[in-house]
Amino acid sequence: MSRAPVLSLAALPMGRSARITALALPEREASWLRAVGLGEGVELTLLRGAPFGGPLHLRTSGGAELAVDRALAGHVEVEEGGPA
Amino acid sequence: MSAAEATVVALVGRPNAGKSSLYNLLTGGHARVGNFPGITVDVLEAEVSLGTGERLRFVDLPGVYTLEGQPDPESDEGHARRYLERLEAEKTPHLVAQVLDATHLALGLTLTLELRRRGVPLAVVVTQHDVLEKQGSTVDAAALSAALGVPVLTTSARKKGVAPQVLQFLGDAVREAKVPPSDPLDAEAVAKEVLRPGADAAEAQARVRRRTERLDALLLHPVLGPFLFLSVMVLLFASVYLVAEPVTWAIDAVNGALGARIEAALGRGLVTSLLVDGVLGGAGTVLTFLPQIVVLTLVMELIEASGYLARGSFLVDRLLHVAGLGGRSFVPLLTAHACAVPAITSARIIRDPGQRLRTILVLPLMTCSARIPTYGLLIAAFFSQQSALVRGALFVALYCAGVASGLVASLVLGRTVKRTAAALPLVLELPPYRRPQARVMARLGWRAATRFVKDVGSVILVAAVILWALLTVPGPGHAKVVADAPPGTSERVVAMQDSVAAFVGRALEPVTKPAGFDWRINIGLIGSFGARELMVGTLGVIFGIEGDDEDPTPLAEKLREAKTPAGTRAYGVPTALALMAFFVIACQCMSTVAAVRRETKSWKWAGFLVAYTYGAAYVLAVLVYQGASRLVG
Repeated sequence: MSRAPVLSLAALPMGRSARITALALPEREASWLRAVGLGEGVELTLLRGAPFGGPLHLRTSGGAELAVDRALAGHVEVEEGGPA
Repeated sequence: MSAAEATVVALVGRPNAGKSSLYNLLTGGHARVGNFPGITVDVLEAEVSLGTGERLRFVDLPGVYTLEGQPDPESDEGHARRYLERLEAEKTPHLVAQVLDATHLALGLTLTLELRRRGVPLAVVVTQHDVLEKQGSTVDAAALSAALGVPVLTTSARKKGVAPQVLQFLGDAVREAKVPPSDPLDAEAVAKEVLRPGADAAEAQARVRRRTERLDALLLHPVLGPFLFLSVMVLLFASVYLVAEPVTWAIDAVNGALGARIEAALGRGLVTSLLVDGVLGGAGTVLTFLPQIVVLTLVMELIEASGYLARGSFLVDRLLHVAGLGGRSFVPLLTAHACAVPAITSARIIRDPGQRLRTILVLPLMTCSARIPTYGLLIAAFFSQQSALVRGALFVALYCAGVASGLVASLVLGRTVKRTAAALPLVLELPPYRRPQARVMARLGWRAATRFVKDVGSVILVAAVILWALLTVPGPGHAKVVADAPPGTSERVVAMQDSVAAFVGRALEPVTKPAGFDWRINIGLIGSFGARELMVGTLGVIFGIEGDDEDPTPLAEKLREAKTPAGTRAYGVPTALALMAFFVIACQCMSTVAAVRRETKSWKWAGFLVAYTYGAAYVLAVLVYQGASRLVG
């Protein structure tokens, strides 16, 4: 099986589920994201994006709903898990 | 002081965990803002006596996601951590009570594990258990307590009558003062171990999720959503605006009657003038803002507690990013178009400290209702021959100028106002929809009102008296006090012309001449330093018209016809435009300055606000006057 290229949360199609594989961020921000509930291994579903290129609305498998800035989402690496 | 000091119970928890609900439940909403060195956000505290004679001092710390790592010292995390570190360093007897949201157990437990590692006496209160029960599940408190080595209670802060049980639990925990073991645990695993899902848990959870999804589909709709949010915000704005008018009217009526009584009792004189114009006037200003503050607090709580505010911010976040602000700045910015004072209070909803400060500093640039009388006067005086369309467009342009100046100021401040550390990563929780509680709202409204009168009101009152003195006490070379002259008479005009304010106004003339302002306008600017709505009234006194703010026509004529000592027209369109430009920018409002001091807990930012707006207003007025003079001829 060939390894898929790295996919960022910002590039994930709407309505799809994925698992966070890495946080390409400075440690300080990464640890804050983990505390908020977006650490490595977390499964999530991308629900929608805000208008005008605003934040992304997602739900983690734990049931928390979060709005994540699109630029920040570009640094969150995910592995697609298929449709929700 | 009784024999034993009250033990501090510090409430710690994630944002939206239900910490404040629990705090209100335990303390009955009685709270004072604690004064803790180095902590510039509001930390509420209140003492509660237990039946046993012991006392607990509850401290409601800001919501935090983590207490480890290196938080921005000005963030909520930074403040909470500093407070806890101080407790530990000073060896103050204390208990950390973590408020844990039962519906997000694993997330909350990561914080619990951090607290265990800190080695402080710890107890865990699992709240929102009723919500979890509705989803068909329960938390096994005994199992959780055994797993963590920490006392655990499950409860629902929204239910009536649970307070004694929680108090007793915390009292026991304080007495035990047990430092938990710090063996490494896995939050997910612990959560899984203690959560008891019912038979229909999955179905119940799906039901709740479907309801949220249905509401989100409408409220977060890409087209309808922003439209709905904007409509709700306009309603909010209108409610603040609408409530202000009758209240101002009523206060004026009461003030007039009281003033007449004082005059009847004491006769005309300096003391009467001080009481009527200074003290009553200042108190009236304070009271005018009060209903607006209360209305705004209530409506804000309504939209925040329901979960709608987070969603609205989500929708408009991108638009405000352009100005270096975030979605949560939207509500304060809009409210500021009615009045900056309640808007500054409402900026508390902004979590990022840098964004909050920037928002507070640009709010006074929005076109508040107090600017309207001056704009109206100037338009009536110098643009009356233009069509209604032109005059209307001028009004719209003034509003736009407010927004544009705010945008520019925010961008400039974003580059210059130094932040000690990077802003928070941009993640916002979208909490579940909930019904706000009337009890909580009433309490918040009351608290907002009393604190406003105490903190902001006192500053407004003092400033009003000082301004009264400037406008009434004669300047150098004018020994006679003519404050007892009836308003509108020529003696009264003479009084103001000889006042300290007039002296300063004349002294400033060389500085203000490039902007087209003579000493009379300068008196107006001094008179409206405390409150810009006083501009029209002050000019009215200077020009010998007893001010009727509703109909500025006679004053407009006087302004148009005003002569210089040489006999030429004193003011023209360039002066009017320069004065408008000045009013767009200058923070002529001591209530705003007082509110900024209160919210930033420093005179530094309040002073900065006055300095930067007056500086920029002057420069802009000079540019406009010089430019317009050249164009007009």
